[in-house]
Amino acid sequence: MKELEKNPQSTISSSQVFFIHVCCGLALVAGFWVAHHVYSLNLVFDPTKTLCLIWAIEFPVVILLFSCCRQKPEKCSYFTAIARGLLGLPIGALLNALGALALGAPVGLQYLEKTVNWSLLMSSFTFVPTACVYGSSWTDWCRIFACTKPNGPLEFMLCLPAHGAVIGAWFGAWPMPLDWERPWQDWPICVSYGAMAGYVVGMVGSFGLALIMHTGRKQLKAE
Amino acid sequence: MWGWWRFGKWTVLIMFLHIISILIFTKGFLLTRTELPHSSHCSDLSQSPCHSSPSSSSCWTKPAVDRLIIIVLDALRFDFVAPSSFFEEKQPWMDKLEVLQRMASENPSSAKIFKAIADPPTTSLQRLKGLTTGALPTFIDVGNSFGAPAIVEDNFINQLIQNGKRVVMMGDDTWTQLFPHHFNKSYPYPSFNVKDLNTVDNGCIEHLLPSLYQQDWDVLIAHFLGVDHAGHIHGVDSTPMIEKLEQYNAVLEKVIKELQNQSGPGKLHENSLLLVMGDHGQTLNGDHGGGSPEEVETSIFAMSFKDLPSLPSEFDSSSCEPSKNICISSIPQLDFAVTVSSLLGVPFPFGSIGRVNPELYALAVCTWNLDDDKTWNNQGQTKLEEWLQIYANVLCINSWQVKRYIDVYSASSVIGFSSEDLFHISDLYSKADENWSYTKNLSSYKHGSSNTSLPVLKRQIVAYSNFLSYVAELARSKWTEFNLKMMGTGIGIMLLSLYCHTLAIKKLNKSYGVSLLSSRDSGISFGLMLTFFMVLIRAGSLLSNSYILKEGKAANFLLATTGIMTLRYSFMKNKMLIEAAIFLLLTFIFRIAIEVGLYKQAATSQFMSSSSSWMLGISISPSLWTYMAEIVPILALIILGYFLYKSISSCCWGIPKYVIMGTILSYFLIALHWISESNILDLAHFLKGFGKNSIPRTVYAITLVQLSLLAIVPIFSKEETSNCRGSLFVKMMSILSACSSTIIILQGKQGALVALGSLLAGYCMMRLQGIEKHTVSGTAGISILGPLPVLQWSLLAVCLLFASGHWCAFDGLRYGAAFVGFDEFILIPQAILLTIDTFGFSHILSVFGLPLFVAFPSPFNQTEHKSLFPIKLFWIFMVYGLITAITATATILCVTIQRRHLMVWGLFAPKFVFDVVGLILTDLLIFVASIYYFDGVEDRIGNAKLRRLW
Repeated sequence: MKELEKNPQSTISSSQVFFIHVCCGLALVAGFWVAHHVYSLNLVFDPTKTLCLIWAIEFPVVILLFSCCRQKPEKCSYFTAIARGLLGLPIGALLNALGALALGAPVGLQYLEKTVNWSLLMSSFTFVPTACVYGSSWTDWCRIFACTKPNGPLEFMLCLPAHGAVIGAWFGAWPMPLDWERPWQDWPICVSYGAMAGYVVGMVGSFGLALIMHTGRKQLKAE
Repeated sequence: MWGWWRFGKWTVLIMFLHIISILIFTKGFLLTRTELPHSSHCSDLSQSPCHSSPSSSSCWTKPAVDRLIIIVLDALRFDFVAPSSFFEEKQPWMDKLEVLQRMASENPSSAKIFKAIADPPTTSLQRLKGLTTGALPTFIDVGNSFGAPAIVEDNFINQLIQNGKRVVMMGDDTWTQLFPHHFNKSYPYPSFNVKDLNTVDNGCIEHLLPSLYQQDWDVLIAHFLGVDHAGHIHGVDSTPMIEKLEQYNAVLEKVIKELQNQSGPGKLHENSLLLVMGDHGQTLNGDHGGGSPEEVETSIFAMSFKDLPSLPSEFDSSSCEPSKNICISSIPQLDFAVTVSSLLGVPFPFGSIGRVNPELYALAVCTWNLDDDKTWNNQGQTKLEEWLQIYANVLCINSWQVKRYIDVYSASSVIGFSSEDLFHISDLYSKADENWSYTKNLSSYKHGSSNTSLPVLKRQIVAYSNFLSYVAELARSKWTEFNLKMMGTGIGIMLLSLYCHTLAIKKLNKSYGVSLLSSRDSGISFGLMLTFFMVLIRAGSLLSNSYILKEGKAANFLLATTGIMTLRYSFMKNKMLIEAAIFLLLTFIFRIAIEVGLYKQAATSQFMSSSSSWMLGISISPSLWTYMAEIVPILALIILGYFLYKSISSCCWGIPKYVIMGTILSYFLIALHWISESNILDLAHFLKGFGKNSIPRTVYAITLVQLSLLAIVPIFSKEETSNCRGSLFVKMMSILSACSSTIIILQGKQGALVALGSLLAGYCMMRLQGIEKHTVSGTAGISILGPLPVLQWSLLAVCLLFASGHWCAFDGLRYGAAFVGFDEFILIPQAILLTIDTFGFSHILSVFGLPLFVAFPSPFNQTEHKSLFPIKLFWIFMVYGLITAITATATILCVTIQRRHLMVWGLFAPKFVFDVVGLILTDLLIFVASIYYFDGVEDRIGNAKLRRLW
C-alpha cells in the first residue's frame, strides 16, 4: 500500500497492475467463497443475496486499491479518492441499471432487488475504479469510455476490465430467451456470470498490455 | 424516367429474383393440396364393380354398429394407454388408464388397444380435420385464414348428417368451429385458456353420462382437453397430469360400466361401439405440432359389447404381451374415417385415402350376418369365409372410392400426381379389379366349395390392400414431404439475389465516389462492422424457436445496443446528447410495448407460457386506467397534428399543403371516432345519425384522394424549387402523412402512440446521423452515409411491428382491423385493410420514411452537389432492402434446416410466410417509393445540368 502511494503517476509498473488485478480477482473469488461456504448461498438459487455479498466484498477492495492510483495526489487526498469512489458507486449503478433496462432487463417490483444488486456489482466493475482515479474529470472519462483511447497501463487497467464486464454482460444476456428452462437463465444470473467472465478477461488483457508496454518502455530506455 | 432506370433497374431485377426464388422455395416447402368440394352419395355405389349392400335400408355397407361413442382425449400419448410392459422403463404416468388395459386383456376379441399414427402437423385442428376427412393435412387453407375454419371437404361428420344420423358433441369448441351446423346438440367449451385444466373436462363429464341413457343420438363425441392443457402447463411428468389421467380412468370406468349394463339384447347399447382415442401425442414437455414419434403416436381403444370370434392371424398385425394377454396393433389415423364410416354404413368421405382397417372392422362386424341375413349365405361356409367375403367387398368399395378420388383430383388440381404414378395406380387397381370380377362370381355361384374360395378371397384382399397402401404412400410423399430440390433451388436464387444486391450497392458507391472526387478511405469502418455483426446476430437468432417467439425483444435488444453505441458516439463528439438519450428512452418504451404484446400473445399461443414480467404491480385504480387509455391516444393525435401544422407553416406551397391539411382533418375525424366509441362522454346519441362506419370510410377516402393527388399532380405541374432537399422533405412528409391517417385508424388507439413514438425516433435518428455528417463535412463538404442508421431504421421497423401488437403467427393478425368501417365480410377490401394494418408501420411507413436521412435540410450541407441525391436515395433504399433480404434469406435457410423441428408448422412456417410476404412488400414499396421520390429530384437535376451547359 505504502509503496503504491509513493509513485501514483499515470504510469504504474506492471507488477502493480498485476497486484491490483489479482486483488480484485481474489475479492471476487472471496465473495463467491463466502457466499457458498459461510452463508451457503448460490447465485442460481438466491441471486439477490449472493450478488449483494459479492459486491459488498468487491467494491471496498476496488475503492481502496484504485484510490492509491488517483491522479494529482497532491491536490486530492486518499480519503477524497475513497469518497469519490463511494459516490461513484450509486451513480454508476444507476447508469448500469438504466442501460440494462434499455436493453431489456425485466421491469417489475419483484426484480427490483436483483437489478439493484446486479447494477451495484456492475458499478464496482466499471464505474468505481475510474471514479476513484479520475474523479469528475470529464475529458478523462470521455477519453477512456467514449473514445476508447486509453494511454498508459493505468488507463488500460481502468478501460479494459470495464469494457470486458459490459461486453460480457451483453453476451451473457443471450441465453435468456432460450426455452431450456434452466434456473440460471433468469435475470440477472447469466448476465452476472457473463459480466464477471468479461471482467476477468479484461483484467488479464490489461495485465498483458501492461507487461508489453513495460518491456517496450524498457527497450526504449535501453536504446 | 431514363435517369431512374439507371439505378431502378436493379430494384426491378432484385424484386424479380426474390419473387422467383420465393415461389420455387414455397412450392417445395409449404405442403399444398387442393381441397375438392365433392362429396360421396349413397347412389354413387352403382358405378362401382362391387356388391351393393343386400338390404335396401343401408347405403354403401351394411351398418354394423348402431351407436358410436367417440371419446377424444386430446394429446393422448401412446404410453398413457399401452401397458408399461411394452416400454423399457415404467414411468409415473404409465398404467393410469388401467380400465382400458383391463378390458383389452379380459376380452381380447371385443376390446383392443391400437397404436394410432397421426400425420403431422400434430395440432388439434389439423388432426380433427384429418381424422374426419380421412385425408392428409394441408398447411395453408385460404378459406381458413379469415374467421371460422369450417371444413369444406367431404368428411365423416358430413356423411353422418347426410344419412340422417344424429350427432351429439361435447367438449372442445374446435369441433363447433369445424362443423358449425352439423350437430343436433352440442355442449362446446372454450379451448382458449391453456391454464384452465378443468372447465372443458367437467363440462364433458357433466353431459357425457346422462347422454348415455338418451335415445336422441346415433354418434356421440366427447372431447376432453385436460391432458393437453396439463402437458402445456406442467409437462407430462407432473402431478396435475397424473391426476388428470386418474380422473379419466374413473370416468371411462363409469362409461364402460353403463354401456355394459345396457348392452343386453333389445337394450339401448346392444350394438354400440366405444372408441377412446387421442388426436395426437405430445412430447414430455407437453409440446406438439411436429412429426417426432412422441407427437405422432397416439392411441385408439376400441370396444364393442358383444362376444366375437377373433380374426385370422394373417390380418392380425398386433404385437402381443403374453404375460398380460394384451395385443396391440398399429393403425394409421388416415384409416379412421373410412373404417368408422364403413361400420356405421355411411358413404366413405370423398377425399379419404385410408383403408378399412381389418382389426378395427373385425371388432364390430362379425356380429351381424350370422343370424338374420342369409340371402347369399350357405350352411357350408365357415364364419371366417363369410367375414372375408364381407371384408373383401368393403375393400372393393374402398378401393373404388380412393381410385375415384385420385382420378378426380388429378383432373382438377393444378399440382397433381405425375403420369407415371397415375399409371402405376391404374395398373394396380385394374389388376385388383380383374381378380374381383372372378372372386365375385366365385362367391355368388359356387356355393359350398369353401376350400377354393378361401385363398382366392385372401389374394383379393391382399391385392386391394396393396393398391390402397400404395396410394396412401404416394399421397404422403406428395403432400407431406418436402421437395428438397426445389427448396435448394429457391435458396440458390435467393443467394444470387443477395449477390446482385451487393453488386448494385458497390456500383452505387462507385458512382458516388466518382461523381464526388472525394476518396475517403474505403477501409472497413466501425459502423459497417457493427452493422454486419448485428445483421449476422439477427440472422443467426432465427435458427432458434425461442428467439423467433421473442423476436420483438431480440430486435429491441439489438436496437438498444446500437442506441448505446450512438450515445457513446455522441459523447465522443459531445453533441446531440439529448437526442441520443431520447432515442434510448424510446427503445425502452417500445420494449415495454413489445412485452405487452408478448403478454397478449402468450394468452393465445400454445408455445408460450405467459410470464408477466412487465406487470409492474402498481395498482392504479381501474377508472383512472380507462381514462388514461381514452385520453392519451387522442392527445398523441393532437400532438401529431400539431407537428404537421408546424411543418406546413414552414413550407407553404401547392399540393403538399392541401395533402397535409387533409391529414389534419383526418386526425380530427379519428379523434371524433374514438370519442364516439368511448364510454366517458356519452356522445353515441349525438353521432347516431352519422353512423359508426362513415368516419373510417371518410378517412380511407381522404387517404385515397391524397395519394392520387400526390401521384398525379407532379406529372402535370413541375414546380421549381431551389432547395432540393427541402422539396424531398416536403414530399416525404406529405406521403407519410397521407398514409398515416389510414394506418392509425386501423391500428386503433395504440396506433397514435406508436406513430408518435416512431416520429420521435425518426427525428432523433436523423439528428444523430447528422453528427457524422457534420464532422465530415468540415473537411470535404460531403455527407457520408453510414449503414448503421439504416440498420437502426430497419430494426426499429421490426420493433414497430411487435410494438403495435402483432407477432409472426396467424393468430397475431389483428382481424378486428379488417372490420374498421365495414360490417360485413368482403374478401378483397378486408384483405387489403388487414395487410395495411399488419405491415403499416413496419413496412409502408418505414420505406417511405427512409429518405429522412437524406432529405432533412441540414444546416451544414447547403453546398452539396445536387446530383448526389438520386444516388444517395438509391443507396439508402438498396441498403435497407439488403438488410431485409438478408433477414428473409436467413429465415428461409433456418426453416430449411429446421424442417424436421417439432415446431416447424407452429412457428417456423408462419414466420417464413410473414418474412417472405414482408420481403416482397418491401421490394414493391422500394420500387414505388424510388419512382415517387426520384420523379422530383431528377427533373431538377436535369434542369440544373442544362443550366450549367449554358
